[in-house]
Amino acid sequence: MAQALRLALERALPQAPSKRPGLPWQWLAALPVMLIFGPLLPGLYWALSPALDATVWQALWLDAQWPQALRSTLISSVLGTLLACGMAALLATLHYPGRLWGSLQRRLPLLLSVPHAAFAVGLFFLIAPSGWLARTIAHFVQWTGPPDWVTVQDPYGLSLALALAIKESWFLLWVLAAVLGEQAVSRQMVMGRSLGYSRTQTWRLILWPQLLPRLRWPVIAVFAYGLSVVDMAIILGPGTPPTLAALIWHWLTDPDPALQARGSAASMILLIVLLTCVLAVRGLLWLMKRHQPYPAGQRKPTASRRWLKLHTPLFLVGYAVVAVLLLWSVAQEWFFPALLPDALSLESWHQADWAPFWTTLWLAMAASLLCLPAVLVWLEWGPKRLNALLYLPLIVPALPLVAGQYATLLHLQLDGTAVALVWSHLLWVLPYMVLTLIGPYRAFDLRLMTSARALGYSPWRACLHVKWPILLRPILATLAVGFAVSVAQYLPTLFAAGGRFVTVTTEAVALSAGGNRRVLAVQALLQIALPMAAFGLAAAAAYWLGRHRKGLR
Amino acid sequence: MKLSTLAAIALTLGVSTWANADWSQTQNEAKGQTVYFNAWGGSEATNAYIAWAAKEAKTRYGIDVRHVKITDTAEVVKRVQTEMAAGRTSDGSVDLMWVNGENFRNLKNGGLLFGPWAQNLPNWGLVDLNKPVRTDFSVPTEGYESPWGTAQLTFIADSAKTPKPPRSAADLLAFSKANPGRVSYPKPTDFHGTTFVKQMLLELTPNRAVLQQPVTPAAFATATQPLWAYLDQLHPSLWRNGKTFPASAAEMHRMLGDGELKMSITFNPNEAANLIASKQLPASAYSFGFTGGTIGNVHFVAIPVNAHAKAGAQVFANFLLSAEAQTRKADITVWGDGTVLDITKLPTASQAQIRKTAPGALAEVVPTLPEPHASWVEALEAEWLKRYGSR
Repeated sequence: MAQALRLALERALPQAPSKRPGLPWQWLAALPVMLIFGPLLPGLYWALSPALDATVWQALWLDAQWPQALRSTLISSVLGTLLACGMAALLATLHYPGRLWGSLQRRLPLLLSVPHAAFAVGLFFLIAPSGWLARTIAHFVQWTGPPDWVTVQDPYGLSLALALAIKESWFLLWVLAAVLGEQAVSRQMVMGRSLGYSRTQTWRLILWPQLLPRLRWPVIAVFAYGLSVVDMAIILGPGTPPTLAALIWHWLTDPDPALQARGSAASMILLIVLLTCVLAVRGLLWLMKRHQPYPAGQRKPTASRRWLKLHTPLFLVGYAVVAVLLLWSVAQEWFFPALLPDALSLESWHQADWAPFWTTLWLAMAASLLCLPAVLVWLEWGPKRLNALLYLPLIVPALPLVAGQYATLLHLQLDGTAVALVWSHLLWVLPYMVLTLIGPYRAFDLRLMTSARALGYSPWRACLHVKWPILLRPILATLAVGFAVSVAQYLPTLFAAGGRFVTVTTEAVALSAGGNRRVLAVQALLQIALPMAAFGLAAAAAYWLGRHRKGLR
Repeated sequence: MKLSTLAAIALTLGVSTWANADWSQTQNEAKGQTVYFNAWGGSEATNAYIAWAAKEAKTRYGIDVRHVKITDTAEVVKRVQTEMAAGRTSDGSVDLMWVNGENFRNLKNGGLLFGPWAQNLPNWGLVDLNKPVRTDFSVPTEGYESPWGTAQLTFIADSAKTPKPPRSAADLLAFSKANPGRVSYPKPTDFHGTTFVKQMLLELTPNRAVLQQPVTPAAFATATQPLWAYLDQLHPSLWRNGKTFPASAAEMHRMLGDGELKMSITFNPNEAANLIASKQLPASAYSFGFTGGTIGNVHFVAIPVNAHAKAGAQVFANFLLSAEAQTRKADITVWGDGTVLDITKLPTASQAQIRKTAPGALAEVVPTLPEPHASWVEALEAEWLKRYGSR
């Protein structure tokens, strides 16, 4: 009775003129996005206009380095992306649904929280000619000196491709896990299986055709990252010449304006490469859609390939990277071919500088917490057609964007301030958060919202009390991703902070110029600890908040 | 330590009474300022020393010095340029920077430096004017930068594996051929790599005097022809057949420690001692130079024209030039960077501290060769990249 009365009263209160999201809502949704993107536009003009000159392109064409730089960039990014997709897809097809998939999911946060730079450092410690792998072999075959291997910094960028493949396969598995956690998807698997189709068949006929379009943006982001990565390329990529992204970074930071313009022009080449590849992928998806075999009704017996333990090496590399970093951080004397350090000490930890750690913590918290309401409001009421615009920072090479941001901050006299630093991070934190959340958000069963609205909730209250609580798990995961993205930012921190704020990432890269692996290992581990804590907290909070609700777990 | 401070104060008073009024005004202005000191952050010994100097500046002069750790000074040059281009002529983000060579030349030619100020510093009177502290790669400093330390190109090897090191360019070629894949040098434009190329140029060029003049295309072609012939011969026997190069000297130290290389390179004759102490090189490592001498230079600190805390930067630069700070910097257990002061003007305790040595440090006298004119650097780097940058 009281309930009905309240509903009636609420309905009697003046409401928004339209039930559909009106213009004010859309404005509200677009405002934070405009604050993040708007000021960038004049900055981009100031930073990139030097490239609009034919002589700059001529100079670039004559430069001896760029064709090979482009080659190693293409090999590392294309191969890395393909391998990452292949490994993630194979693992999902083999093990979802199942006990192993669950344990995979639980182990992912540790691996995901290893930032790219730290992972590259650890992998280098493993596979370099003086690394752990070679030391193990040397132990048995009595080598006196390191072997003549070209396992890192090879001219084709193969080691960089390997690093990207491993690192990004974890990211894709994480995305897949979020999508596969949805009720709608798991019901389809049950349905397919109960109709007698094998697991592989169900995957091929039902799940992949639905999942592929939704995985398009994450895969493109992975590819774009591989194209424009600088920190990993410096550690594992070729040096003579470096990858195109590293070369551009070199040019853009050169005092010579002609070389800066060449950097701007070369970053446009990256963009063209990316567009070409995106179009190719779209064509491929279109072809697959056309040739999608209609389920012929033939049930094939399950060919169990579960003996294929692909996840073992994939996870082992991750653990070995963390282990070798831990060992280096406490090592004393440790020269080739010693398998283990001569002695251990906590000296490097005692001397470690913790200031970057705290800066990173507040910065990443501010960036991810500021972005969360913006992401939710945008996904709910923002103009859907403009989502692609939000993804631009993920697919445009980071360097010109950072240069544009810096030009804007200079004109506003805001560089070197905390506000500027947080703002510069939002440009990458926001799209990654949208990207993580959009899948679960789109897959949300709209009938629940219709019911809520039919029972008299305003759009705002329906979101607050029905939609967002149900989406709690992906929302918390999104928050953790935003945090991790902020922690890993190197170039924006360096430019916007004017060197006045030091994060664990800038500190680690600055230290990587020196050769002391102990100090480097300490900073790399601190860089790992922050996102790891965020992912762990997000998972724990989701579990705790959903402990009485079967569908939320 | 106390004694040296007193001596420094006494000397300071003696040399620059005429500037006392001006200087105390600068000191008053400096109080409470924050100085952003942009300096290479790739060595813990250097970072720890700068942290010490910052702490002293806080207690003595009330200046808040923040070390902005950078990997490449050219980035700071770019930052100052961009700020000026954007119309930020005061309140810039860099107050003091560690600089020399072509970076200084670019800043000075671009009118991006504040000054002249260096020769008005009270501690300028302690500086050893016999060292090349008034030219920087043959470019006159004219008081736009204050000397901080001296450096000399030095090689490091492991006596357990290389008892008899190469002593000249020709020696090095034979050594490399005898030890294929175990010799290399950092890739230019890394400054150690560029210096290695300049060292070979100085040894091989027909007329060294030409290198002290600004570069011209004709002079470049004649002077560098033997260098390229030499490198063409050397590269096939280098690490990975000279198709790729280590990124930095620090990477070479690591490779030397692991036995991947037989030689490493440094600009600090005491660095090997530091690396042994921090367990980055085995105790059997030692330093050596070429018989004909190696390139030596001076590194400086400069103030950008748009610096915010110009007074604070000068007071801190003056402190860096004090007997106490220079003695500590030269101490091999702290940093081991050569002093720019006249040692005979220092108290005996300081002299002993500076002359202290440790296993691994350069124990022989190596003649110093002057740097080529700064304009040669860019020409050499460009030509090197054209010939060997993409193989």
